[in-house]
Amino acid sequence: MSLLNLESLQVSIGSVQAVRDVSLSLQAGECRALVGESGCGKSVTAMSLLGLMPGAAKTTAQQWQFAGRDMTQLTERDWRQLRGNQIAMIFQNPMTALDPTQTIGAQIAEPLRIHKGMSRRDAKMRAIALLERLAIANPAQRAEQYPFEFSGGMLQRAMIAMAVVCEPELLIADEPTTALDVTVQAEVLCLLQEMRESSGTAMLFITHDLGVVAEIADSVSVMYAGQTVESGSLNQVFSTEAHPYTQALKRAVPSLENPRPLEAIAGTPPDLRKPPTGCGFAARCSQRMAVCEQAPPPMPVGEHHLARCWLWHEDHPQRWREKEGFTKTSVIGSSRS
Amino acid sequence: MLSFIAKRLLSGVITIWFIATATFFAMHAVPGDPLTQEKAMTPAVRAQLEARYGLDKPLFDQYRLFLGNMLKGDFGISFTQENRRVNDIIREHFPISAILGIAAVLIALVGGIAAGSVAAYCRNRWPDRLVMVAVIAAISVPGFVIAGLAQLVIVAMNNAAGKTLLPVAGWGSVSQIWVPALVLGLGTMAYLSRIMRASMLEVLSADFNVAAKAKGVHGWRLFFHHQLRNAVLPVVTELGPTIAAITTGGFVVELIFAIPGLGRYFVQAVQQLDYTVIMGTTVFYGAFLVLVVVLVDISYGLIDPRIRLHRGRS
Repeated sequence: MSLLNLESLQVSIGSVQAVRDVSLSLQAGECRALVGESGCGKSVTAMSLLGLMPGAAKTTAQQWQFAGRDMTQLTERDWRQLRGNQIAMIFQNPMTALDPTQTIGAQIAEPLRIHKGMSRRDAKMRAIALLERLAIANPAQRAEQYPFEFSGGMLQRAMIAMAVVCEPELLIADEPTTALDVTVQAEVLCLLQEMRESSGTAMLFITHDLGVVAEIADSVSVMYAGQTVESGSLNQVFSTEAHPYTQALKRAVPSLENPRPLEAIAGTPPDLRKPPTGCGFAARCSQRMAVCEQAPPPMPVGEHHLARCWLWHEDHPQRWREKEGFTKTSVIGSSRS
Repeated sequence: MLSFIAKRLLSGVITIWFIATATFFAMHAVPGDPLTQEKAMTPAVRAQLEARYGLDKPLFDQYRLFLGNMLKGDFGISFTQENRRVNDIIREHFPISAILGIAAVLIALVGGIAAGSVAAYCRNRWPDRLVMVAVIAAISVPGFVIAGLAQLVIVAMNNAAGKTLLPVAGWGSVSQIWVPALVLGLGTMAYLSRIMRASMLEVLSADFNVAAKAKGVHGWRLFFHHQLRNAVLPVVTELGPTIAAITTGGFVVELIFAIPGLGRYFVQAVQQLDYTVIMGTTVFYGAFLVLVVVLVDISYGLIDPRIRLHRGRS
């Protein structure tokens, strides 16, 4: 049974439909990357998963189970017990996400005090032990210091400690390396991976860095304009990127083996106050068809590999040819060879 | 930390010297002197009095004498209050002003923080609007009007009840403290609640606030541990000037509520050119304010570790 099963999440904030249709599933211990450009609804999805959207936001989902519970029925009280305990989050910018007036140790110990009812001393001991595991020198001394006395990389490690201290079942990492130096990024990724493996925590890794995805994720969901447009295992999505948006994303990443001019994706994402009725990517898509005026449902590309694109409809000529044994003169191939 | 305090105190001493000197010469520049009265006195009497109070000496000698006595902590004898030493006047009446002032500052501080926080939490909803309208009213209506209104309300209440629920004026009991203290602190409370609202709004949208919620922190713990401590600094910054305004500005409220505080002597002394009392109260208030400002500066570090001047537990 999967740890998280989210189907057709919709979040609207006032007139903005920030998340229009997001489906995610995570097995225990799995790391899924949620990829997409700024403003596509990644962070709103993450906040919704923690039940932290402001009261003005309207959240609905067809199905939403976490660890066997129906999340659509949770009260605010239930949410509080869940947050930081079973679902924890690592924020993008450790410089602003830690409280400047509290010591690092107290902040790491806080979830233990709230959720596990630990004494101040025991919680602090655990926090110090965790800092030590995260390779922070002089952890006992460091725990007494304040965020402004830490470097960016160390702060992110403290942030990780804060998130994993209660050994959550799901860890949401919202671009945890974006605010860091490249040299520190790798270090933080390694630590995250280590923490995850030793505790068996599932992770939703939100990023727009495809390189990081390849390094850390088991599976990938690609978001565009508030929808998951493609999802599958890391291999599936990286070798047969099925959605034209995923293809375009990959063309926008430099490659060492195969140097070529980078291609930006022409156009801009749709205005989510008035989202298009058809495919959200149609306006920027090079493989646009007449049918793209209608919204495509997720269509199977392979096993557990879905793409929200008419190209993968069984009536598409390409699929016919495949069925009848034609060799694949793939729509994707044309862009890659 | 110690060297910081020493430096601040030293600059405080210079400030006080400056205040004393400026007041001294400004005071003597005003035409007339304490002996100028409606009833003219004979030149002989006048000369005798001048000699007694040292007013016959050249101005600079008077200044030197005053400074010397001030260093010894002696402000001399009042010109208008027969044979009362200025030190005694301060000693007897300042504690009353101080109690009133402290009560007013506390009411303003707690009320301002609470009102500002409520307004920020309920941004653009009716509690916010209500607080902001009340703030504008409290800032724009002068203290003596509010004081008068408060007394009218108390009188009406007492009449309606047929007995004395609250004393209208006077000094001595607890119930006689909090009404004037509220009146005295109201403007400041309004001002502080505006500052608190703005800085709390900033905190509410800050990353660390969301991150704290994501850890499961909620309710009062969230408010006291994370939000208040971050939001309160701008309010504390205002505390120095605020205490100054309240303790020295209590004069009108003291007068209306018939409270025997120091404010009355301060103002009377200026009206009657009572040299020694003017100098005594001015220097005393100056020293008091310098001290308060230093204390407020030190308190920053307790609230925000980034402002702490030395690591080491101070």
